[in-house]
Amino acid sequence: MGDENTVLTEPMARHMLRRTGFGPTQKELDRSGIVGLTRGQAADELLGFKIKKFRPGGRDFDKLHNKWLKFMLKTRFPLQQKLVLFLHDHFSTAFSTVRDVKLMGFQIKLLHSMAKGNFKDLVKAINKNAAMMDFLDTIRNRKDVPNENYARELMELFTLGVRDFAGIDNYAQEDIVQIARAFTGWNFEDNGDPEFRDFQHDFMIDYPERGPKVLFDGTHGFPPGGVSFTTSGEGAAEIDVVIDILFQHTDSEGKNTVARRTASRLLEYFAHPDVAMSAADDVVTVSGFDTNWDIAALCRAIFVHDAFFKTAIPPDDPEAKKSVKWPIDYVVSTMRLLKMKPKGREAYINGGSFTPLLDQLQNMGQVIMDPPSVFGWNWETAWLSSSTLLSRYNFARDIVAAREGGKRLRPEKLMDLNITNPGTIVDTVTDLLGVTDQLSSAERDVLIDYLTDNGSNPTIDLLDEDVRNTKLHGLFALVMQSPAYQVH
Amino acid sequence: MGITRRQFIKRSSLATAGAVLGPGFFGNPFIRRAFAETIGDRYLVVLFLDGGNDGLNTVVPYDNLGGLRTAYEAARSTGGGGLRLAPGELSVPSSSFTDPNTGAQLGFHPGLSGLGSLYDQGRVAVIQGCGYPEYNLSHDVSQRIWQTGFPLGSGGLPGGTGWAGRHLALEYTGIDVPAVTIANSIAQEYVQNATSVLAIRRLRRFGFPYDGYEPADETAKRNAFSALYTEASAGGQPTLDFVGGSGQATLVSSESYPVLHDTYEDERASWDQLYSDIDRGMARDLREVAKIIYGVSNGAPGVSARFYQARNGGYDTHADQGGSEENGRHYDLHKEVGDSLQLFYEDLADMGIADKVLTVVWSEFSRRIEQNDNGTDHGSQGPMFVIGGENAINGGVYGNHPNIESSAIDEDGNTVYSQDGGDGFRSTDFRDVYGTVLKHWLSMPEISILDDVLSPDVGPANSYWTVPDFDLGFLP
Repeated sequence: MGDENTVLTEPMARHMLRRTGFGPTQKELDRSGIVGLTRGQAADELLGFKIKKFRPGGRDFDKLHNKWLKFMLKTRFPLQQKLVLFLHDHFSTAFSTVRDVKLMGFQIKLLHSMAKGNFKDLVKAINKNAAMMDFLDTIRNRKDVPNENYARELMELFTLGVRDFAGIDNYAQEDIVQIARAFTGWNFEDNGDPEFRDFQHDFMIDYPERGPKVLFDGTHGFPPGGVSFTTSGEGAAEIDVVIDILFQHTDSEGKNTVARRTASRLLEYFAHPDVAMSAADDVVTVSGFDTNWDIAALCRAIFVHDAFFKTAIPPDDPEAKKSVKWPIDYVVSTMRLLKMKPKGREAYINGGSFTPLLDQLQNMGQVIMDPPSVFGWNWETAWLSSSTLLSRYNFARDIVAAREGGKRLRPEKLMDLNITNPGTIVDTVTDLLGVTDQLSSAERDVLIDYLTDNGSNPTIDLLDEDVRNTKLHGLFALVMQSPAYQVH
Repeated sequence: MGITRRQFIKRSSLATAGAVLGPGFFGNPFIRRAFAETIGDRYLVVLFLDGGNDGLNTVVPYDNLGGLRTAYEAARSTGGGGLRLAPGELSVPSSSFTDPNTGAQLGFHPGLSGLGSLYDQGRVAVIQGCGYPEYNLSHDVSQRIWQTGFPLGSGGLPGGTGWAGRHLALEYTGIDVPAVTIANSIAQEYVQNATSVLAIRRLRRFGFPYDGYEPADETAKRNAFSALYTEASAGGQPTLDFVGGSGQATLVSSESYPVLHDTYEDERASWDQLYSDIDRGMARDLREVAKIIYGVSNGAPGVSARFYQARNGGYDTHADQGGSEENGRHYDLHKEVGDSLQLFYEDLADMGIADKVLTVVWSEFSRRIEQNDNGTDHGSQGPMFVIGGENAINGGVYGNHPNIESSAIDEDGNTVYSQDGGDGFRSTDFRDVYGTVLKHWLSMPEISILDDVLSPDVGPANSYWTVPDFDLGFLP
């Protein structure tokens, strides 16, 4: 299909902005200037954003949630947000368990600051992040009563995965037990800063029966007898060394386990769930991620890879892949595309059910900062059930039912109301919502039939308020509720 | 050429009947009743305790026959953070509640008094020591093992499908809606690609959302919506095919299910209030199940679900688990579940259909025998509960309490899975529980269970599930 020198057509440029951001509106596409650039140039352009700081605030969870939501609605650097969302899901931490708004805010701030940084450094920072230390019981992991929770999830979810791609176990229970020892004694101060309490740390001399602190006995690229995590001394240094060791772990095919798994997940995130293992290996090789751990470099390799462009192909092509939009993407993209703003401190849409966006998102299955568990959210078709689909339809209804005040849907600001040709009206609306090239001619005909009541009204007078409120708003809702709009 | 059922199943992803039958079908609110030759006029409810319920503090040794109490007290301490439940604190049924192997008297965690009361009426089967070979301590992996029924690989059965889902796939097609999950997402045990499973959180909010500006336009909107979803399924792109089928099933069900809420509220107002009085998520979720069962059993049009799943989370008690104190975390969870199950049962009994509903309660694993500071880490085998009416179930204790002697637990501190018939501590494989349900409740022939739902492991009979016994005895 192409490579990093392939020149981007407008649909491909639009696709790139859609998958790396929210939307985009025509203005965003124009401003990006990436039409006509090569994939590589465009990737550099997109990844060249300046890290924007997120300043958490608010005493209760709803306020913090809405603060981040509004930050996403406004940002000029949506790729940063897409990366933070990925990392948030990866290092899943749930407010329902932590119950501390300040600590959750610190963690989200951290993810913003390291969103395109060094992945290994990020894992080390997450180790010592207060919300995480609380969420996965690091602060309850003491020398006399080790708690394995963090050690297990660190390997299973943040780095290695339970099994490699050939189905071979990546670690044993004994490795979990040993890593839990390294993490004993860590806690945090009131301001969220990490604090090491060596009186609670497991020292070998105190617990000779637990053996030497080693991992991976002769497996996964490590020598017989295992590799020690006390090479920089016992105590506070151990947890960084553990990460250094995990990042050297190789799978049963001799490839770096963390690099492969992270690349594969990021590919699935930005592209689709059927990406071949070879594509993950490609992007690791091209980016050097298995040695530099540079998230931006890995993203660049993904954004120029053919796998990334498979979801841009119209669905009637057998090559086409599709990925289900996350609820947060569905909501933020829609509001950005239609220039809608939430109303009030509760951030609701000024129409329909007047349900706060937080509740709408919860009904769709995604409250940011409160994932269902340490596994984060289930992606792809797991996003869609009768329950969550209805919630998306509800949101679409609320958008078009917003007819009062300044926070309403204003088609006149988005399109020319003088057009009367039903086909042109349909194309204009599907353009605005970015799905024109994803609809078959039969689907386009369905929308035209709706607009014209099966041909009985061959021209549509959008200047008539009743027609506009019924048919044009109805058309917007149908497109937002359509199958094509649930995916990208 | 007509479409055979097998072809039909292959062509459908989830609820894609529209693709085959055309939009006209969905314009007709008729959905035929479920096939009668299997589950018949009965219902199955699966209840998942998410996070790994501490079995040792759920069904607890009361006396010391077989040394169980001594071993329990060695593992669970008293004082600050101690999890030990004293015999006097346990909820002990007045009817026989003893471990079949050691003969030890058992008691329920005090929070489970509601379940204890049902036990006394003979409505509960407690199945001890449930697990599987080569146990896994990851929540995610172990949940999938229980939900798919594949501890060691799928044995050639369709991977990614749920154990109950494979039963559904045999018995139902795309035009049926045999199962409902009370959640935002479909329970893994019902996953398959032949028929529709709904996810409904609350019936009263399950109606299709039309913009009320011009009611006369609703039919046009509905037709356009339905046509768009039919087109999506017809295109053949797998993800859109899935979206198309799910959206169609959602549209049709959104027109038949919400009324069940109103009917129940009107006709069973006092029961409705009792669930509200408990004021917990589990009670509210089971109330939704009760509403649907009430509707189906009374022949409400367009609803036919007979399989349900609900979930209660919070069992991952690594810390602050609590013992017998009423504000404790584990106490609170048990109280929520025990009281809710008792009310749900009584509601069904009042409807006159307690004998038609079987509720199966499971968790992905139990917890470490020895406690940590004030909680427990992940463990292996634990108890399951099966609840049903007088003629639906043989109440009692089945399976053996796991061997919790320090000399018997493995190097990771967990009880060992064993199918050794000569070992008094023989474990219960959860697949035997499923098998008993499939055979005796869903009327499946053994050969079909083995061929289509649960495949035995390959390996030594003492260590693996190689000789299935689908007659644990808790079902008549």
